[in-house]
This record gives sequence, structure tokens and C-alpha cells, in this order.
Amino acid sequence: MEKVIGLITCNYSAKESSALTESRPVASLPYFGRYRLVDFALSNLVNCGIRTVGMVMPYNYRSIIDHTGSGKDWDLDRKNGGLFILPGSAFGTSRTGARFLLRDLIHNKAYFKRSNADAVICSTANFVFNIDLDEVYAAHKESGADITVLTKTASEKDNDVTAFDVIDGRVQGVRQGVNFGDTMFLDCFVINRQLLLDMFDWYAPTDYLDLFEAMAGDFGRVDVRTYDFGGYVAPIFNKRTYFRANMDLLDPRITAELFPVDRSIKTKTHDTPPAKFEVGSRVLNSAVSSGDRIYGSVSDAILGRNVIVEAGATVRNSIVMQGCVVKSGARVENAIVDRGNVVPAGTELRGTPEEVLITEKAHE
Amino acid sequence: MSKKECIAMLLAGGQGSRLGALTSNVAKPAVSFGGKFRIIDFALSNCANSGINTVGVLTQYRPYLLHSYIGTGEAWNLDERGGGVAILPPFATQTGGTWYEGTADAVTQNLGYIETNDPEYVLILSGDQLYRMDYADMLATHKRNNADLTIAVMPVPWEEASRFGILTADDDGRITKFSEKPKKPDSNLASMGIYIFNADLLVETLKEDANDQNSAHDFGGNIIPKLLADGKRLFTYKFEGFWRDVGTISSYHETSMDLLGPNPAFDIFSTDFPIMSNASTRPPAFVGKDGTIDDALIANGCQVYGTVKHSILSTDAYVGERATVIDSVLLPGAVVKDGANVVRAILGENSVVEENVSVGSVDTTKDTAVIGNDVVVGKGEN
Repeated sequence: MEKVIGLITCNYSAKESSALTESRPVASLPYFGRYRLVDFALSNLVNCGIRTVGMVMPYNYRSIIDHTGSGKDWDLDRKNGGLFILPGSAFGTSRTGARFLLRDLIHNKAYFKRSNADAVICSTANFVFNIDLDEVYAAHKESGADITVLTKTASEKDNDVTAFDVIDGRVQGVRQGVNFGDTMFLDCFVINRQLLLDMFDWYAPTDYLDLFEAMAGDFGRVDVRTYDFGGYVAPIFNKRTYFRANMDLLDPRITAELFPVDRSIKTKTHDTPPAKFEVGSRVLNSAVSSGDRIYGSVSDAILGRNVIVEAGATVRNSIVMQGCVVKSGARVENAIVDRGNVVPAGTELRGTPEEVLITEKAHE
Repeated sequence: MSKKECIAMLLAGGQGSRLGALTSNVAKPAVSFGGKFRIIDFALSNCANSGINTVGVLTQYRPYLLHSYIGTGEAWNLDERGGGVAILPPFATQTGGTWYEGTADAVTQNLGYIETNDPEYVLILSGDQLYRMDYADMLATHKRNNADLTIAVMPVPWEEASRFGILTADDDGRITKFSEKPKKPDSNLASMGIYIFNADLLVETLKEDANDQNSAHDFGGNIIPKLLADGKRLFTYKFEGFWRDVGTISSYHETSMDLLGPNPAFDIFSTDFPIMSNASTRPPAFVGKDGTIDDALIANGCQVYGTVKHSILSTDAYVGERATVIDSVLLPGAVVKDGANVVRAILGENSVVEENVSVGSVDTTKDTAVIGNDVVVGKGEN
């Protein structure tokens, strides 16, 4: 898709903060062992042939840049185009609603202006799904819409997700928070590039708003249509949805849908050897990443890379991130153990299924 | 090592015919090993870890997978300005062209590559061996000895010595005798097929050898004996770590099994001299509710719903419900369907063992079973 460029706003901080997002933006939250949330937005864009992607950065961007580097692992280390690191608002946009803060877009006007693309596909990094954007773009062109927004019917209440009021596939209004049955916005849309540049002028006086908030009175003149996505979607705005979206992947059908070989989710590659299941280990219903060494018991768990579970240790219904060591006889249950932690021998880290215990990232 | 002080010539053209079905459609250096690696990863990683950034890879037999796997050498950090990986297949000139006939001939035909890079030293390597070696240390030894040629050697069991090129050296490590596969070895120091030559001497010697009608153009058989007879300074570089040439099905199987157990002879987890690979990005391995795994290496993308014991599952391998895999190696994408049994076997890439079919035998007097790449084993076929 030569005529389309991408934009990912990575500076949306979780409103409901937890230890997981104190040390990093949501975009670089580890997910399913070896991935980061931003991998989905990046991979969806490059999988349809887009080779120019701008990323609007939060102030604490270290972990994002560490992850993306030059963009090589997404084929974004291009002579022309490639990965553009764009400055974002100093303190992120934790305010409800503003995922595509106008000010952030306008400040990076040059990125859009210098392009000769017909359209821009914009996305946040808070949603997990794998979609063929070629089809979305084809639908966008066919309908002649100004903007095509990706949507799905909400299956539960979520205050952090944006809802659209839709009549006959055309957006009439926008509001924050979805209830069961609402049309929820997947934070991903196609917009004609020239229209986006025009909107920078239209909405300059209210640049503190989200693009769609600013548009709220304009749905009569701006033709915004929905593209309903039928696949698996997980919005991740708090620790509960984060935990559940990980655990969903213990269902191989969902994993197969999210990580097909022919439309793969790309991520930073590492030279870690295969996981080693040592003599006497016991692993059930779990995802185990490369570099892991398991001597103890693991069930209903997701282990990041280079995790060691020593003999006599137990990990149950938990996420254990990269580089953690669960020492002999220790017990981790209903917990999220952030990266680099050592769970001392014989100790317990235990939450409940309703209230998962989170340990913050080890200090480096 | 400074940048063009030493370049490597990596011999990767061999067919590896004794690996049978595993090399029916790929060259031996491209054969998968250890769950996520290919055999050539070890030599390329050694180069990168030793600071050698210019590597010529001599290819010939079924090169497609090998070429695409090596690519620009980026996966081994070898895509550097002023260096890089060059893939060197046989080529034609105004006076014609021939296949590579022997290890020395392959390098002779690419003397132009060496001359273009103009290094002081040339490291000759095989692309089909598993080991970790710091070539910088070997080069330091070469320079310290003021040697013309340094040969990496390792002690082998006396009873196996007659299978190798055997060297006798004096107390200073200077080689006094070399015999290719001697019937009655008087030393147990075996050549590992890893050489550092002074570049000028290598070029000169290969040019002479090319004109010698009686030469088989082989480093072990012709070049080394000639230099020794000429009184050149040939020295040994003693290596005592893990080293394997996985030349046969049984050695491939044995060496794979050596990665398992509580204290494997070859530690692929060591991080100070990492083995790099051009791996595909796949999700973590998944073990189902009834999966049982005991003593195994399981790569990303694998799914295990049955029983796996003392085995290696490479990227995207699949073991179905009630299936059993014991003492086996599943290469990338191999599928063992529900209820199948695989014992002491090597399953080629993307091969399939159909439901309730058995492959291999626990009887260790029988050969290791091998299923070729892309082969489907159905009922009554095995």
C-alpha cells in the first residue's frame, strides 16, 4: 500500500494506573510472553504493505525505542519512509477520550504534509487484534467515506472504550464508555490525508480535544463510516483487562487467530534458545517463551522470556515476565510478576482470581 | 581484531549425503538443529563473536534455503559497512567455469574475493560443525608463533583417531607430522578442519595447487602435507570444548540428545558467546491441559497436547492429544497427530505423522528413524 502511511499514538497512559504502567507506557506493556502491545498496531500496518509509520511518543519513551529500534523487525528500516519517531504531549494524554489528541497531530503536521500518500491509517497501541487492513482500505475507497472507523459490537461495559452512535453504517455521534451492544471504536481509522490536514486548520482553536471530540458537531458534513471487525479484540486499559487478554491466549483457537503464520505479529527478535523443560518439571495449560528453564510446576500461566522456575516452585494462574526467577519452593498464584523479579525461596506471591496481585518491575 | 586483518572463508557447499533424507532438499549447513538454529549458525556466530565481520560463504549444493537464511548476514550482526557476508557459489569466467572440486578448489576459485579484501590472514571454516570458539584467540596464537598456518586441533579418543586427520606436534605446538585417517595413529590430536593461513601464503599455495594435475585440491589431503614438506611453520591451536561434526544421522541424533539432561555437554543457554540465528517470530510454546513434557527443548510456536520425553521440538512443531514423542527430534513445522507414536526418530521439516501411526523403535540396535522434509507418513507406510 504505497499510497497510505500509518500513525500510532503511543502516548495514551492508562487512566487507572497500576504498577505495570508506572514504569512504562501501555504501548510497551509485555504481552503473551514475548510481545509488546504496540506490536499489534505496528504489525497490522506493515502487514498490509505500509512502510511509513509515525509513532507519537509519550515522555517516558525509553522502553518503546528500546523495543522498536530502527523498526527493522517490522521492515520499517527503509531508505524512503520507514519509522518516524514523533514528539507527543509532555505528560501524555491520560484524560478520558483523547487518544488522538489534536495538538499531538498538529505538532507533527510536517509528517503528514511531506507525504504524498492518499490516506493515513491511525491507531493507538491499546488494542489487541490482527486485521487485514487491505480490506479496510478497499472498503474505505469503495464507500467514498471521508473517514472509516474500525468498530465492533461491545460484549460488555468498558468505561475506557469510545462508543459511536451509528445509523446505517454512518457515525452520528461519539461518546466515552461502552455498554453491552454498543458500537465500540477499536481506536483505528482510515482518513484521507488532505482532509486530516484541513481538519488541523478547522480544529486548531480546540487543539486540546481528541480528533473525534472536535468532530462531534461535524458528523453531518464529515462522512464517517464504520467497518465492523468480526475477529478477536481485546481493549487493554487496566490491569483486569490486561490480565484477561493474556489469559485468553491459553485458548489455542484465539492464539491461532492472532498469530497466523501468513499475517504474523512481528516483534523485536532475540537470540534466546528454546525453552528447556527439565527432568521433573510439570507444565499444564501454559505458554512458555524461549530461554525459559522450568524445573518446577507451572499451570494456567504465561511466562516471558528467560524465566526460571526452580524445582519445587509453583506458578499458577499468573503472568511471569521476562527474566524473573521463581526460587525453589516459592509459590506464585493469581499474580502478575513484572520483569526481573526474584521470588525468594519458600515465599508466596498470591492474589485472588478477582484481584490479581501485581509486583512492580525490579529496580535496575 | 581489526577489520580487515582477518577474513573468513566458510565452506558450506557440501551435500551432507550421509544425513540422508534431512539433506534431500537442503544443504547440510542449512539443516535445522537444537530447536531454533540451523547448523551454519554456529560458525557464523563464532565469526561475529570473534570480531570477524567479513565472511565469504562458499555454497554449491541445493543453496536456496541456505542463501535466503543467510541473507545479508544481519541476524549475526555481519551486515556492516566495510564487511559483510558474501555468498560465493561457483561462477563462470571468460574461460568457462566448473563446480567446486574439493575444499581447496572452492577457495581457489574465489581467490579474487580474498584479493579484493586484501586481509593479512584468512580463516578457513566448515559450515557443518557445532562448537563455540574464539577465533581471535586462535589468531593471537597464530601471531605469537609467527606461524604460516595454524590448525585447530582437539584430542579424540585413541580408538577413533583413525577417522580423523591426525597431527603430531612438538612441545611448542609446531606440527611435525600430519596423516589423513592413519591406520595406526601415533597421536590423538585431530584436525578440526579450522585453519588460519597467512593470506599471501594461502594465495600462492592455492595457485600452485591448482596447476597440480595430481592434486585432489583438498586442504587435508594436499595443501597441509605440501606446506609441511616445504618446511613451513605449521602450528596447532588446542581446543578442548564441545565440538561435533554432525555428519551422519546417528551423530546428528546423538548430538541433539547431548543438549538434553541436567548438565548438557553443550550449553546453548550460555549468554557470553551467544549463538545467533535468523529465527522467525512465533508466539511462545503452548502446553495443553493434558500435555506432559519431561526433559525437552521446546521452541516458539510449538503446541504440545500429548506426551514428550527426552526430545527436541523445533519451531512450530505439533504433538497432538494422546500422541507420544520419545528420544526424538522434530524439525520445524513437524506434526505428530493425535494418538501417533514417535520413538528414536528425526522428523523432517513440515513432515506429518498421521493419527495413530507409529514411527521408530525403542530397539537401540536399530537405526534412528528418519522422515524427510515435507513427507507425510500415513497408516501402513511405515
